[in-house]
Parts: sequence; C-alpha cells; structure tokens
Amino acid sequence: MRLPIDWLRDFVDAPADASLVAARLGACGFGVESVERDVVDFEITANRPDCMSVVGLAREAATAFGLELKSKARPAAALPSGHTPIKVSVGDAGCGRYALAVVDVTVGPSPDWLASRLVAAGVRPINNIVDVTNYVMLEIGHPMHAFDAARLAGGEIRVRRARASETLTTLDGESRTLDETMIVIADRDRAVAIAGVMGGASSEVSATTTRVALESAWFLPSSVRATSRRLGLKTEASMRFERGTDLAAPPVAIARAIALLAEIGAGTIVGGVTDVCPKTPQTRRLTLRRARLASVLGDTVPDTDVVRILRGLAFVVAETSDGWQVDVPSFRVDVSREIDLIEEVGRHWGFDRIPTTFPELRGMPRPSSPGVARARSLRRLLCGAGLQDATTFTFIEAAAAAPFAAEGDTVVIKNPLSEKFAVLRPSIVPGLVESLLYNRNRQAADVRLFEVGSVFSRARGERACVGWVLSGSRGAHWSQPASDVTFADTKGIAELIASAFRAPLDVTVADDTPWLVRGQGAALVIGGERAGWIGRLATLSAGEDAVFAGEIDLDVLSRAAAAAPTAIAALPRYPSVVRDLSIVVDERLPAADVRGTIRTSAPDTLVSVREFDRYQGKGVPDGQVSLSIRLTFRHPGRTLTDADVHEAIDGIVHALETRHQAVLRGR
Amino acid sequence: MAQLPDVSALRADFAQALETARTVADVKAVRDRFLSRKQGVITGLLKSVASAAPDERRALGAAINTLKQEIEDALAAREAALADAALPAGAVDVTLPGRVPALGRRHPLTQVRERIEDIFLGMGYEIVEGPELEDDWHNFEALNMPAEHPARDMQDTLYLADRLPADARGRHASLLRTHTSGMQIRYMETHEPPVRIIAPGRVYRRDNFDATHTPMFTQVEGLVVDEGISLGDLKGTLHGFAERFFDARVKTRLRPSFFPYTEPSAELDVECQGCGGAGCALCKHTGWIEVLGCGMVHPAVFEAVGYDSEKYTGFAFGVGIERLALRLYGIDDIRMFYENDLRFLEQLVP
Repeated sequence: MRLPIDWLRDFVDAPADASLVAARLGACGFGVESVERDVVDFEITANRPDCMSVVGLAREAATAFGLELKSKARPAAALPSGHTPIKVSVGDAGCGRYALAVVDVTVGPSPDWLASRLVAAGVRPINNIVDVTNYVMLEIGHPMHAFDAARLAGGEIRVRRARASETLTTLDGESRTLDETMIVIADRDRAVAIAGVMGGASSEVSATTTRVALESAWFLPSSVRATSRRLGLKTEASMRFERGTDLAAPPVAIARAIALLAEIGAGTIVGGVTDVCPKTPQTRRLTLRRARLASVLGDTVPDTDVVRILRGLAFVVAETSDGWQVDVPSFRVDVSREIDLIEEVGRHWGFDRIPTTFPELRGMPRPSSPGVARARSLRRLLCGAGLQDATTFTFIEAAAAAPFAAEGDTVVIKNPLSEKFAVLRPSIVPGLVESLLYNRNRQAADVRLFEVGSVFSRARGERACVGWVLSGSRGAHWSQPASDVTFADTKGIAELIASAFRAPLDVTVADDTPWLVRGQGAALVIGGERAGWIGRLATLSAGEDAVFAGEIDLDVLSRAAAAAPTAIAALPRYPSVVRDLSIVVDERLPAADVRGTIRTSAPDTLVSVREFDRYQGKGVPDGQVSLSIRLTFRHPGRTLTDADVHEAIDGIVHALETRHQAVLRGR
Repeated sequence: MAQLPDVSALRADFAQALETARTVADVKAVRDRFLSRKQGVITGLLKSVASAAPDERRALGAAINTLKQEIEDALAAREAALADAALPAGAVDVTLPGRVPALGRRHPLTQVRERIEDIFLGMGYEIVEGPELEDDWHNFEALNMPAEHPARDMQDTLYLADRLPADARGRHASLLRTHTSGMQIRYMETHEPPVRIIAPGRVYRRDNFDATHTPMFTQVEGLVVDEGISLGDLKGTLHGFAERFFDARVKTRLRPSFFPYTEPSAELDVECQGCGGAGCALCKHTGWIEVLGCGMVHPAVFEAVGYDSEKYTGFAFGVGIERLALRLYGIDDIRMFYENDLRFLEQLVP
C-alpha cells in the first residue's frame, strides 16, 4: 500500500517527513517496502485489510504518535432519501450488503489534485468517475464499481450465482468463463461484473456515459478468494474483499463518492440510495483480562495506556473489575478474541519495551529423535572417509527418476515450477550424479559425494536414506601410480556404514537394479532385510567415466543396529593361529559361497576368514580362479596345538573339494 | 746432492687440491696423491730425507712430518664434513607432499543446521523430525489456516498429482510442506506439555530458482509450551540465540508482524553486521537484517491439538537456514548451496 503523506495528513497531523512515518508505523507491524520523499510503501499483512487504506493507516499513525484522528476520518453515511431508478435484488448469501446510487455525470478527466494523489498511490487515472471510485477505495479501503447505467438491460441489478459456462468479457478485455461457484452482478439478461473481482467491459464507463450506477457492496471473503483463484485474476478489489471488508462501509463509501463527485463537479445523485443488507451487522464484544495481558506479554502495561491504545484504534472500551470490556469496530475483521486485543496493546506499547526473560526449564528434556543422531554420525563417518556432504534438490526431472523407480511408483508434483522439478526423487543418487557431472564439467575428475535425505515412492511413501557416488581416481599420490575407483570402493562404503552401526551386512547378486551395469551391481541386505544396493551406474551417457554408487535405507539400518549387541566382549586370553589357504575354483563361484562352506565345515575355533588375493592367469586354468584365504583359529580356553589346526584345515579342504571341486594349490 | 723439497710450495699445492675437491671421491684422490704408501708425494719426500745433508735431515724431517700431519687433519676434517652433509640411509625428502587421507566436509547447510541445533540443545531443547510430504491438516488447517484463508497465499504450495495412501487417522499426504510449522501440530498431538522442541527440515514453495529464491530450502522450527510462557521469554530466547549464532554482542529487535498460527506475531531483526547498523546495500539501508518469524502460539492452534489454551501459553519461531548461511559465509547467490561445487565446498572447515 503506497501511502502519500499529504493524503495521510488530511486525517492526522502526522510528521510531514515520510521517513518518520515509516519508522513509527514500521515498529507497529507495517513492514516498510520503500520510502520516497512524499510516499511510503507499506507491506500490509493479510490480516489487516482495513489498513489497505489511508484512513486505516491514519488511525494507526494517530495512535502511534499520540495524536487525534481528525473527525473527517469517520464520516457519517448521510444518504439522500428517495427512489433509486435502478432496482436491486440480492439472491445469494455470498453478498452480505449491496448499496447502489444512480448519478448523472459529465465524464472527463479528474482535477489535477485528485489524479496526482492516485498516481502517488500507484493507481492510473482513467476518468473522473472511475477515479472517484478508486479514490474512495484507497481512502477508506472499500472497493466500489461504476456501471454505465444505460447499459444495464431492464434497468436492474441482480446479484446471483453465475451459470455454468456463462461468459463475461472483463474490463481487461479478457473473455472469462464462469461457473456456478462464482457470484456475479447481472442485469436482466446477463452478467455485467464478477462480484468483488472485476467489472465487465460492456457496461464500462466511457466518454459518452451520462448516467452511472455506483456500487458499493460487501462480499463473502472466501467466495471472492475462490473466484479470484479459479480465474487467476487478482485485483485491488479482490485483494480487499478476500481479506474481509467492513460490513458498515458500503453506504459510507457511496456517501463519500457522491460528495466527491459533487465537489469536482462531475455528477449529481438521482433520487436516493438503495441499501440492501441481508447480513445482520453484529458487534463483537470481547473481554480483556488485565492478568492475561500481563502474562502473555511478560510485562505490565499501565491501564491508562491500554485504554489509550484501544480507544485510539477505535475500540469501545469499558473498565471492569479485572480488566476491560471491549467492543470491536466493524472494520477490524481480524479481531475476534482476547489474544487479538493483547496483540493490539502489545504492538502499540512496543515489543522493545518488554523486558527480556528466559523460560524456566522445569524438567529433564526428552531425548531427540533417533534420526538426528543417526544423520549426524553418518555425515561424520562419510566425511571422515573422504566423501563430500552434498545437498541436492528433492524434486528432479522425470527422465532422471525413471530408471530408479518401478513403473508408476514415482510421486509426481501436480503444479511443478518446471520440468526440471517434476517428480520427487525415488533415489538420492540421480541428484548426486547431476552434481558429479557439474563438477566434471569444471575440471574436477575425482568426485566423491554423499547425501542424507528422504526418497519417495507411491507405494512406500517417504523414507530416509543415504546415497553416494564415487568416480575418478582414489588417493593419487607421487609415490605410486594412480588407480581408479572400482566396485570394491562402493562396497567398502556400504561395509563401513554397516560396521559403524554394528549391523550385519550381506551383499548378494542383484537382478532388480536396471540402473546398474549388468554383472557390476549388488543388493545390500542388512539384518535380513533388503536395505539398498551398490554398483556401477548404467545411466550415464556412453563415453562417460565409470561412476560407482550406492544407497542404504536408514530405517532398515537402524533396526538391525538396534538388534546388534552393544556389550563389549572380553578380550581373548590365548594366542590365535593363522593359516593361509590357496584354492582354485570355478570363476563363477561367489567368494561368499566359499566362505560359507569354510564356516560350516570348520570347528568353533575358526574366528576369522578373509580373502587376501584373487588371481587369474598363468598357472590357473581358463574359467577358473585362484582364491587365497587367511584363516584365523583361536580357542577361548586353551592354546591350540598344531594337531588341532591340522584337523580343522583338513576338514575345511575336504568340504571345499567335495562341494566346489576346489583344487588346493601348493600345499 | 739432491734438491731439497720446497715444503711451503707443497702446502700450497695441497690447499688448492683440497679446495677443488667437492665429493668423497675427490677427497680420496687428493689423499692418494699426497699420502698413498706407494706413490704419495709426502711418502716420497719422507724417503728423500735420508739423502739430505746430515745437518739438515732433522729439520727437514720435522717440516715434512708437520706438513703430513696438517694434510691428514685437513683431509679428515673434509671427509667428516662431507659425511655430515650426505643423506643418512633411509633418509626422505620431507618437503614432498604427505599422503593425506581424503577428507570430506560437511555441507554449509549441514553446518549451519547443526550450529543452530547445538545452541538449542544447550538450552534444553529436544530435536524432532517429521515428514516432508504433508497433509492439509498439519500444514494449514490446524495452524489456523482454513481453506480459502488469504494467508495461504503467503506460501505458494506444491501439490502432489495423486494423494498418497492415508495414515492411521485417515489423512492423506497431498502436498510438500511449505514450512516446518506442521511439526508443532505433530508434536503436540502426541505429547503433553511442557514442550521445548526444535524441528529442522526441508520445506518447499512454488518459487522461482534464482540468486535469492529457491523452491526448496531448510528451516528450523522452534516451539516452547508451558504455563506462564511470555513474549518476554521469546525475546530472551531469540536474543540469546542470535548472540550465540553470530558469536558476538548483537542488537536485536522484535517487529510486529502477522502469521495465522501466532498471536502476537513478530519478525526478529538483527543489527546488520556489514555496516554495524549504519545502513548499507546488504540491509537495504535500514541497518537491520530480518532473520526469522516468530510469535506467541495462537490459542486456536492449542485448541486444534487439544491443549488447554487458558492454562498453557507458548512461543514458536521459524528460522531459514539458507538466509543465515548466506550471512555467515558472505555469499550473495543462494544457488551455490545446491550446486555442490567442490571448489566451494572444499573451502569449508570439516
């Protein structure tokens, strides 16, 4: 709301210095957008439609500066009586009041003083009639409309619901298709305006207009808002009506407009004013308790200040034994309960005067959500492992999401800003890949990123996950030739996470991960539940360097972690014995199967199995592979003998030979 | 009679030879030339003493022996100096780069978020988390924003094309939460007062993506509910927070504002750190930077969750992490937070 200071000073003797007005009202809840020499642009919050007007802001300024509001800020609606030549019927509850006056006019330009005030307030002058309706709206906050009376068929106004597919060309020249949820102002034959939003072109006041019907009405805020949104049409009028206008204002606005038209010699009323008011005005009477005021603000405001502030803002105040009885003026649509009065007193008393205190801690705080500590330790773990914490958008392109989601399982945004933000990510990885490529395009070849966040699925909803991508070389150093990241690196990240959370991890061949290169992808199973995947991405363009990635569902991880023992086992008292074993087996046989066979065929004294070499080439037949495995044995109660270990190894070798046709090398 | 050797000329010869010897091998060559048992110059001289006149023999022998001793000392000193200068076995060039374990850094938004969390943890707050896909009740209705409430325009909402399956109460997630304030409702629905929580998380608005706007950003919601909580408590808490966050004595002010779910509502401004309140481009010449929105919890919100709005009062606030991060790191383009450019991220502390 652009407030010309000279207009303000019609109603209150506020300082002529715009910056002083801006500062004082800024401290009372009216955000300052900009200050010019003679105009302050205030940001009026949605709860204060009454202050989308010069008089509304004058009332605030009078209270803030401790000044009197001049009497002409509260004009009485002295309406001429007599017959109105246009008949008005209101047929919908969405219209609470409809006042109409018919005026014979001489259309022409407005006088300079009026036009320049409109310009200062940001409204383009059109002609004296339209300008007067806009002037009244800006001054008292109530929208008006002028129809060319000659264009109203049947000489009547009907306020009714629009008919399905009824059309109307509005003042901006657009043809609008209406529906039954909308209220229109119609003549005998058709709609001539969309109630509270915009007038129609056919009854627009023009240079040849000689008689106008001046409308000042009250429309239901929710109805105007719904219509305005449905039509995508926001106007100065709709913004005021949808926030709530003063039910008492229509006759006041008419009276002010008629007086102005007379003053500038633009028109004279014909007959009287019609005022149809189906909605009964109700005075809201509230109670403000002195003790409640003090306890909410944390400060005691002297009674005289409470009364001064409320009366200044046009509340009618009567003192009671424990506070005040307060009648709310009809234009304060935002004030409906005691807390609203407390705010009024507080903001004019001054928030900065309220003493600073601290809430008392009366008990032990509850522990935080488990996800908070989980995300923190994951981030520290992965940063420590050399991955960079990233933040990518939750919504991504549909094409980037498609490989990672089952058909129809993607959560789609109904009103996305653009195709880039069309669907919710089914995986964190596609967003990380975009960041990885962004860095590659800026000459960073070695990129290791991770992100902790939500992924989305129609079937499974929202889930917390960690995802990562690795590419380029690992640990390049002058002391050794560089080597590229491999599958083992992404698997290592999964193993690191599982081990840090003490959750048992199984990695199995995956056949349901079409976004991974065949033969280079695996499923992660944690605590017996499918928890994610790792592998080499197949979604990059041909010729791109390999990217290895992975993702883990954090709730699955947490469940397995919770089930894992946290107690520390006693340290072994007897030494362990280490034996290495090299076997040749079919190359298609997973190492995990070999490990499984070893575990099941070994005595309890086997405490660790670890592959330390995998070799194919000279000395190993085609289609076969040599695996070297280090076995560690230990007995909890005594030192193992050579014979113990021999017996164990014999059993293991026998099992490997019979189950996997393994051949022992160089024993 | 044989010519007598010129001892001082020999001394000069030796000095010159040693002078030019730079390596262990050079020094050995000099040693051989002068002291070798077979061909050494000094060895030869000593043999020639016998042929000197008897009265000169003694003096000549002494002069040659003195020279020999000088030469031996000089050679030993030079050999020791060279040995000192040589690399010991296994010596390394300590100036080559070390093998640095790779180190990632926490994202600036993570760092600011954790910094905020830590400040409130220190004040006895509990950190809670909730869903980013939200239903109309938690995002709007229970926060005193019924359908067609004009305040809904303050937050242009992104909706889902299809409702997700209903939760236990029959509510369908239908939108991306526009603020973390829904967590106030979710928490109060499941906990009795006193309440002292913060709820960090991502929020979404249908905003353009440019230097100052982004359709996704991060908020930290705060909520305190108990008997006797006042606006003064809100002031004290947020002022304390601002001083901790900026690690400085800062001036703050509460400016009345409007949010449907708080009453009274306010914005917290912090004195502009760029100009010390004098006014600059950063603060649009006001001397103040708007930091967060806050207020006393509206009784209608308490009533929506079944709290006694007479018995309890409370305050709530919502901090935008990106806005604070821009301040903290002196950045003027919010897009940098989502590009994950390593040249940017690697400037951070871990």
